[in-house]
Amino acid sequence: MTTAVIRFPGTNNEYDVISVLKAIPDGDPYLVKSRDGAKALKDADSIVIPGGFSYGDYLRAGAVASVGDIMDGIRELASGGKPVLGICNGFQILTEAGLLPGVLLANESAHFICRWVYLKVSSGTTTFTKGLEDAVLRIPIAHAEGNYYCSAEELDVLKSNGRVVFRYCDSEGEASIGANPNGSIENIAGIVNEKGNVLGMMPHPERASRSILGSTDGLMILENFVRASKER
Amino acid sequence: MLTNEELTYAKTHLGRDLTQTELNMLDVLWSEHCSYKSSKRWFHLFKTESKNVYLGIGEGAGLVDIGNGYLVGVAMESHNHPSQIDPYNGAATGVGGIIRDVISQGCKAVGLMNCLRFGSPAKPKNAYLLEQVVRGISDYGNSVGIPTIGGEIEFDDSYEENCLVNVVCIGVIKPEYVVRSSASTPGHHLVMFGSTTGRDGIAGVSFASESFSDEEEENRSAVQIGDPLAKKVVIDALTDLVHEKLLDGLQDFGGGGATSAAGELAKKGGTGVEVHVDQFPLREPDMRAHEIIISESQERMLAVVAPENLERVIEILEKNETPYGVIGKVTSDGHYTVLEKGEVKARLPIDLLVDGFPEPERDVGPLPTRSPGMAWFKEPDDYVKVILDLLGSLNICDRSWVYQQYDQHVQTKTVVDIGENAGVLEFPMGKLLAFKSDCNSGYCLLDPFHGTANSAAEALRNIVAIGAHPIFIADCLNFGNPERPESYAQFVDAIRGLGQFSHDFDIPVIGGNVSLYNEALVDGVVRRINPTPQIMLAGMIKNDGMPVRRNLITPWANLSLTGETHPELNGTEFQRVVLGDIKGLPPRYRPQEELKAMKAMLQAHSQGLIRSCNNVGRGGIAISLMKMVLNSPYGFKLDLEEAPGSARSFAERLFSESGARYIAEVSETSQPEFMSIMEEAGVRVCEVGLVVQDHLADFGRFQVPLDEAEEWFRSGLRKHME
Repeated sequence: MTTAVIRFPGTNNEYDVISVLKAIPDGDPYLVKSRDGAKALKDADSIVIPGGFSYGDYLRAGAVASVGDIMDGIRELASGGKPVLGICNGFQILTEAGLLPGVLLANESAHFICRWVYLKVSSGTTTFTKGLEDAVLRIPIAHAEGNYYCSAEELDVLKSNGRVVFRYCDSEGEASIGANPNGSIENIAGIVNEKGNVLGMMPHPERASRSILGSTDGLMILENFVRASKER
Repeated sequence: MLTNEELTYAKTHLGRDLTQTELNMLDVLWSEHCSYKSSKRWFHLFKTESKNVYLGIGEGAGLVDIGNGYLVGVAMESHNHPSQIDPYNGAATGVGGIIRDVISQGCKAVGLMNCLRFGSPAKPKNAYLLEQVVRGISDYGNSVGIPTIGGEIEFDDSYEENCLVNVVCIGVIKPEYVVRSSASTPGHHLVMFGSTTGRDGIAGVSFASESFSDEEEENRSAVQIGDPLAKKVVIDALTDLVHEKLLDGLQDFGGGGATSAAGELAKKGGTGVEVHVDQFPLREPDMRAHEIIISESQERMLAVVAPENLERVIEILEKNETPYGVIGKVTSDGHYTVLEKGEVKARLPIDLLVDGFPEPERDVGPLPTRSPGMAWFKEPDDYVKVILDLLGSLNICDRSWVYQQYDQHVQTKTVVDIGENAGVLEFPMGKLLAFKSDCNSGYCLLDPFHGTANSAAEALRNIVAIGAHPIFIADCLNFGNPERPESYAQFVDAIRGLGQFSHDFDIPVIGGNVSLYNEALVDGVVRRINPTPQIMLAGMIKNDGMPVRRNLITPWANLSLTGETHPELNGTEFQRVVLGDIKGLPPRYRPQEELKAMKAMLQAHSQGLIRSCNNVGRGGIAISLMKMVLNSPYGFKLDLEEAPGSARSFAERLFSESGARYIAEVSETSQPEFMSIMEEAGVRVCEVGLVVQDHLADFGRFQVPLDEAEEWFRSGLRKHME
């Protein structure tokens, strides 16, 4: 099995993700440049869209990337139930492409924000968080547009189906207003699609993947992702 | 602009008049920014050689061997004038320029730092400049995917007309891939790539080499505009070119544009160059030779390519979809020749153009004498209030409003991010390097020699506190107009101070930059910046050690103060808070004490005896301890009555900024060993207290309420920015 790590012009986290996936047994990542098109995905069992500033984030974060030809291939794999993970700019691209509901607005502070945050994992089991139910994770964020927003109906659907996977919280696991770094609705930091095989998250699990970096909490998410890729 | 003397000199040298293109070329290359004509004569005072220095001052970046077949590269530069005029683009292109310097040696860029100076953010104009500068750095650095891992910021009224934006880029490379900034083989091609050439940044260096007048607006076209996406493409293309070893020389287009880039290559290679301006990819169609040759449009690189590699180089550039042009050739005639449609527009000897300027006379004036007296000092009635004022003061308070806008973790090699004593990056083979920049411009104003040496010592203490051995220095020297004797005297004394430090500690200076003319005429009065010799120090953590942070982590561990505390309150933050100003003779630079303390602390670190550590800097022992407790779940109880040194009063002990001092958290079992190391080294040491389970700050005579302290610290800068 192989994981396609997508690089749009301006993506800059692709090697970070690749190096973590390489360290996971069966991770088996390979780099796909967006201009190689959908055909470059024919051998992929799963996909990561890493962070960065695709197309310089001109227009709106993720907007240009979301209409590229490569997206057809990603859409096809997603509808076939294969795991797709969008991190940060990848999450923005997935919402722009309609693979996940809602939008990521500019941070409430109107500034880019980079810092360590705590995340409360949902109680329900998802493909990506097996064994992490209800856990409090410590992972960094780095984004200017991470303020998740969706309509009240969409939010209802997300919540009632256990699709809100991560919420910003304090060190005790409380999803308080003070723990919300960007103004996102109900402290949402990551969601999955209806089928549960597409995850978008603003925090960077690859940046919390070795103890020397201060946390290995993100590694567990990526290990789950690899395991899910193998099962499909 | 060229002086009359320079113009006459050039004409006499050539025996003819200059063309428009030649005038422009000499104007930019003989500017202070490119020529270092007022500063170069003093660089011999620096220690520059050392067995680990692979490439010293003089090219894009200095390179230092860190063992196991890797070099670390560092470049440091100012982008002050552009940032004052157009803070967003000025700061962004400052970052872009420093990255180019490092990648032009073939390095992979792995870290950024920035050192900023502004007037008080209580004034909207300064807050605006800060906001825009930080946004410029953040948008650019974050987009290109290089983590920002350190830097610092200081506020002083003297920066109101001249904010400072100094930037550092750190890189890594294996020696076999190093590309030099020289063109040594006639017949090789000159290939430029990365971006097109436009009218932005025309003669930016000449504008940076003059003081501001009241007509700042006119200079806006001298500020370049950055394009981080294009830079990312340049980095990707360059990675391929370097990896395949296709380049025989490389230079970025920085200050002075093509004139400087090709001129420097020829100078270092002992050759000449022939440049055809019609081959430049342009973004504006009607540009002329004299504009093209000095344009400072961003994101451009100039490569020297052997004929047999040209095809492959072009193939790679086309694959990366980056604009390029084969703009000329290396020649053997020792001249820089510019051709437009086959017609010679300029033909200047390289030796004249690159550093053949007539060295200008500069006078070193007298510096004002400062008094060591402290007649102004009065023991405060309320120590808690002073500590809260210090925590909230602009040069001590929390800077997270600034640094949280920088991506500190991309590339996943950041071991210690911003907010600690130094940033720490992981290098290949598991090597950990610490980076710290510092400059106390208040000290430097009061005493440029001691202030500069002490600023370097402060950076050193930060590196040592975290457990790293110093390995090299880079600097960026920001001063006023060198044509004014009193300003030039500050500059010369500061260089002497840094030179002295580099020899005292045997640390080589491997790179740097000089920015002069940081002053303005306001209503006929000269407003000059404080002397700001910005110093960047790098250190290495040896023997698989881990960085030691400053948060208290072990209840019931001892807190030891090493070094002597003297009644040195002139020039300190304490003085600034109680008097609203600084005056007198600032804390002395004491190399012997500093050296002893460094060696002893590093030994204790290497034996793993220190749990957490902070150096004593701005705000003295009081602030050093407060910074250890603010982000810790624990607290401390102190007894400062026995602190060694000549300080007598309680306030002197709390707030003195004497150097060579550290506070170390040492567990009870390690304490005897720690004490004996200090004793053997001849370092005075004193147990000043204990770490306690509760989150409190008990100074013996009083307690500081921590919730209030946190609020003062947190809001000091934020209250002006939100």
